[in-house]
Amino acid sequence: MDKTIEQIKEDALKELEAASGPESIKALSVCYLGRKGLVTQFLRSISSLPQEKRADAGKKANEVKKLLDTAFKKALKQLEAESAVSDDRIDVSLPGRVVKRGSLHPITQITQEICDIFSRLGFDIAEGPEVETDYYNFEALNIPKNHPARDMQDTFYISKNIVLRTHTSPTQPRIMEKRKPPLRVIAPGKVYRCDSDLTHTPMFQQVEGFLVDKKSSFGDLKGILTTFIHKIFDDQTRLRFRPSFFPFTEPSAEIDIGCVMCRGKGCRVCSQTGWLEIIGAGMVHPALFENVGYDTKLYTGFAFGMGIERIAMLKYGIDDIRKFYENDLRFLKQF
Amino acid sequence: MKVSLSWLKDYIPIKMDAEDLAEALTMAGLEVEAVSDRYNYLDTVVVGRVVEVNPHPNANKLKLCSVDIGGQTIPVVCGAPNTKKDMLAPCALPGTCFPNGIILEQSNIRGEVSKGMLCSPVELGLGISGSGIMELKQNLAVGDKLHHALGLSDTVFEIDLTPNRPDCLSIIGTAREIAAFQKTKVSYPEINVSEPLAEPLAESPDTAGDISNFSSVTIIDPDLCPRYSARLVFDIKIEPSPFWLQDRLVSVGLKPINNIVDITNFVMMETGQPLHAFDFDRLAENRIVVRAAEEGEQFTTLDQKERILSTGMLLICDGEKPVALAGVMGGMNSEIEDSTTRILLESAYFDPICIRKTSKKTGLATDASHRFERGTDLGGTVKALNRAVQLISEICGGKIIHGIIDEYPKPAPERIITLSVDASNRRLGTSLSQDEIEQYLKSIEFAVEKIDDDKLRVVPPSFRVDINRFEDLTEEIARLYGYNNIETTFPLIPAEARPPSKKIELRNRIKQLMTCLGFTEAINYSFINKLSCDRLELKADDPKRLMMDVLNPISEDQATMRISLIPGLLETMQYNISVQNRNLKLFEIGNVFFHTGQKDSLPDEVEILSGLWTGARVDAYWGSKEISCDFYDLKGAVEELLRNLGIINTTFTAIEPDACCYTKPGYSARIIVDDSLIGLLGEIHPLVLRNYDLKQKAYVFELDFDKLIGIVPDIKLAKPIPKFPATSRDITLIVDKDIEAMNILKMVEILNENLVENLHLFDVYEGSPIPAGKKSISLRITYRSAFETLEDEMINSLHKDITGRLIKEFDAILPA
Repeated sequence: MDKTIEQIKEDALKELEAASGPESIKALSVCYLGRKGLVTQFLRSISSLPQEKRADAGKKANEVKKLLDTAFKKALKQLEAESAVSDDRIDVSLPGRVVKRGSLHPITQITQEICDIFSRLGFDIAEGPEVETDYYNFEALNIPKNHPARDMQDTFYISKNIVLRTHTSPTQPRIMEKRKPPLRVIAPGKVYRCDSDLTHTPMFQQVEGFLVDKKSSFGDLKGILTTFIHKIFDDQTRLRFRPSFFPFTEPSAEIDIGCVMCRGKGCRVCSQTGWLEIIGAGMVHPALFENVGYDTKLYTGFAFGMGIERIAMLKYGIDDIRKFYENDLRFLKQF
Repeated sequence: MKVSLSWLKDYIPIKMDAEDLAEALTMAGLEVEAVSDRYNYLDTVVVGRVVEVNPHPNANKLKLCSVDIGGQTIPVVCGAPNTKKDMLAPCALPGTCFPNGIILEQSNIRGEVSKGMLCSPVELGLGISGSGIMELKQNLAVGDKLHHALGLSDTVFEIDLTPNRPDCLSIIGTAREIAAFQKTKVSYPEINVSEPLAEPLAESPDTAGDISNFSSVTIIDPDLCPRYSARLVFDIKIEPSPFWLQDRLVSVGLKPINNIVDITNFVMMETGQPLHAFDFDRLAENRIVVRAAEEGEQFTTLDQKERILSTGMLLICDGEKPVALAGVMGGMNSEIEDSTTRILLESAYFDPICIRKTSKKTGLATDASHRFERGTDLGGTVKALNRAVQLISEICGGKIIHGIIDEYPKPAPERIITLSVDASNRRLGTSLSQDEIEQYLKSIEFAVEKIDDDKLRVVPPSFRVDINRFEDLTEEIARLYGYNNIETTFPLIPAEARPPSKKIELRNRIKQLMTCLGFTEAINYSFINKLSCDRLELKADDPKRLMMDVLNPISEDQATMRISLIPGLLETMQYNISVQNRNLKLFEIGNVFFHTGQKDSLPDEVEILSGLWTGARVDAYWGSKEISCDFYDLKGAVEELLRNLGIINTTFTAIEPDACCYTKPGYSARIIVDDSLIGLLGEIHPLVLRNYDLKQKAYVFELDFDKLIGIVPDIKLAKPIPKFPATSRDITLIVDKDIEAMNILKMVEILNENLVENLHLFDVYEGSPIPAGKKSISLRITYRSAFETLEDEMINSLHKDITGRLIKEFDAILPA
């Protein structure tokens, strides 16, 4: 026995430190741990030691064997990993391989945004048919035949009593007929009017909203719509309520917001007025409640409606409504 | 409607400036759309001094003037006889747009340059004299703008009135609104009609006596004409109106015609009551009969057009024949002419619905019909009539016949509305006192009386045809108090939530998934061209050909309701390719409309999800060329969509060639879930591509969204993660070319070996060395047990067994 196991360990670690490549480490491993290696030989030689020293020496030698084995393997892995690094370079400026996502139509996005805001305010979302009877589109909304109010909306007719709905308001009587108050509902959908220019398409989309309860007031209507406008635009948006006329509300109001383009200074979009008409609203006309059998003494309600394209145009700075329905991919991909 | 500020000031003092007035009117519900000065056209007309007058070398009647326009002198050719040196006159410069519509340009008149024009009053719309240029006072500053020098300024408001406010279709009506928010009073024009005595007078037998001696009015249809008032004026002379009258009409956009017509128009604009003047001598039997028209009756209106009438229209007739289409337009046969000396003046109330129908049917919309169809003042016919008669006697010098005919067979029922102050405050969210409300209502001429501490008895004036019930009064109160002064409050909303609509949620989820799969959402119009069925190559007897046509479409391309989303998507493809967007992955969710076969009934609206893929599967990039998409790309997208919705039992089966006409035979599949057909998938038929003028292949799918709602599971349950490893084995079978791969996979499933965890079809091959008419199909079967690690021998034996059964079932052979 020439060297102690401690010496063997020290030597091995020293040599490992000096080793220059994977080959020399492998050779060291054979030299120490191989069948004829120094540690192996030492282990074999233990049997020749006196009985009382054998256990201690064996334990130490095995520890060294394990330690060296781990050290060699670790050093080898380190070298292998280092050797995978080279001077090769890729051109990081080359474009990545894209997995293209599609996009939602801007009108869908704004509709969802509007619905989200009203959902948070406790409104349900409902829908109604796009082809309507004259009754629901007009009569039930207090717009009798041959009333000048019918001029306010150029109607597409399918037959004498069937029309393409000119607004989402028919959802009001339809839902009121099926449900009892309290009601808080918004109803988005497509509507149709015989009109086509920069600011009109024959099909467009609206959101109708209404609330019917025992104590709703015009003040509440102002509250709900102010909150909505501050959410859909921003908290700084100015708004004003002014008298207007809809046959299905009394009092009726038109809600203007300070022009988002010029911040109220006056520009082409707001026709130099600084204001933009954005929502029609009012207290539900008692004739609607009478038509659906609600007690007009007990219930009041308010209703409102807005054009989705108009809001989208203002939010995205689009000046031609027809862009929404051309479906030009270069337009749609921007949203 | 146009309203001029100077005219308004005849009835009400106005202190605020024009902008503030416009704002106040808008906030009162009379939306002012535009504010302008009516003399803006005089911007390029200046005060000029004639410094030299010389004869024109080439024209006897023309003169060559030098005109100082302030700072410079310009040559002006002028033909007016009163042109003289040193006079001041209006000089229009090039670019001036005269009231008659002509735009002045620099010109060359008989060889002489003229850089301006000396103008007469009539040319400038400032008077009626056209015989010479307008001589201006010498104290005016040369070069000053004419409207500035003469102090000409009049603001004109363009008001967009809502249909409920016909009472504001007049200057006085507008003044009443201003009076309410200004808290001042309207000074109504004083009407003094100087009537001759009813006694016969020897010196003027033709005009003496009561009107009843001369004429009569008979109303046969009082429902359509509840009131008809008339007066006679004789010995008038038809002439142009005085300038002030013409100017008033011009200020609100009306064209002066002659004194009588102008006065009727003036009174209409002043009071809102349309009037009509008949040539009394052209009325047969000198009397008026008001009756409904007969079907097919013919009548020539003032505009020289022959009208064919129908029942429900109302006619004003004389003793023999119709003389006016009531409330809409007079007739040629009773029109005022230059020779007219005796007139019958009509001031009536016609049923709004009757007038509206007549106006719609004849396509005749006049200032009169506009007012009648909205509702005129049933109580105001006589006042307006007297106002007109007064003006006629003042202006035309005629003799007014004593008395009025006022046929009033259907007086308006009195409208008495009880208003509860408390209910009004609750509806509006205000806390106004009874006194405040009373004052507001009185300020717009409502009669108000207290009933008790809470209630008021309110009678609206006869011109407010829009006020019928309590709620109508609340709008008046709110608008006078100011909408913006009403406190903003919030409704009490209970903390309860109704379940969201499954339909809306699923639609949003599908839209989101489709975008994740690379598809962009399109929204096409719900109407399509009637030829779309032909373009889709639908068979002649296809039930879809029964479509919901629009009676009044905007264009041929939008003439019928869509029965499929495919035409819209193909048109979108066509449009995009025309703008060089070749690679498209589009989807749309929307309703299609099926005719039920019953007349005058609602269609079946069915919601459909459709997608279209054309062009590249993978865009060209620096490492690879573009790869075109095919059937399996779109199929993969549909499969992934359905899988993500939790639908697992989807199968695609081949469609027999003539079952779907717009997809290519052999390249189309039905999409079936649990034995129910939910949609189609396929390549667009080459004939359809040609019909849409498309050259590149396109793949489409259609899914019935309403059916999807029924099969998308509500609940998701997690499966345990396997504890033991899986092992896989491959099989390659050579089978007949016509055998559908899915059948082989299905067969493995049918064998129902519970150790088979997954099947993966990883290769399909035709061609050498596989014999003709055959193909090779390679599957990888994954085996796994939930209870143990499987032994090789066991798997080998099972795999051999499955292989054997497939060989037998499909008459397959193994590759050599």
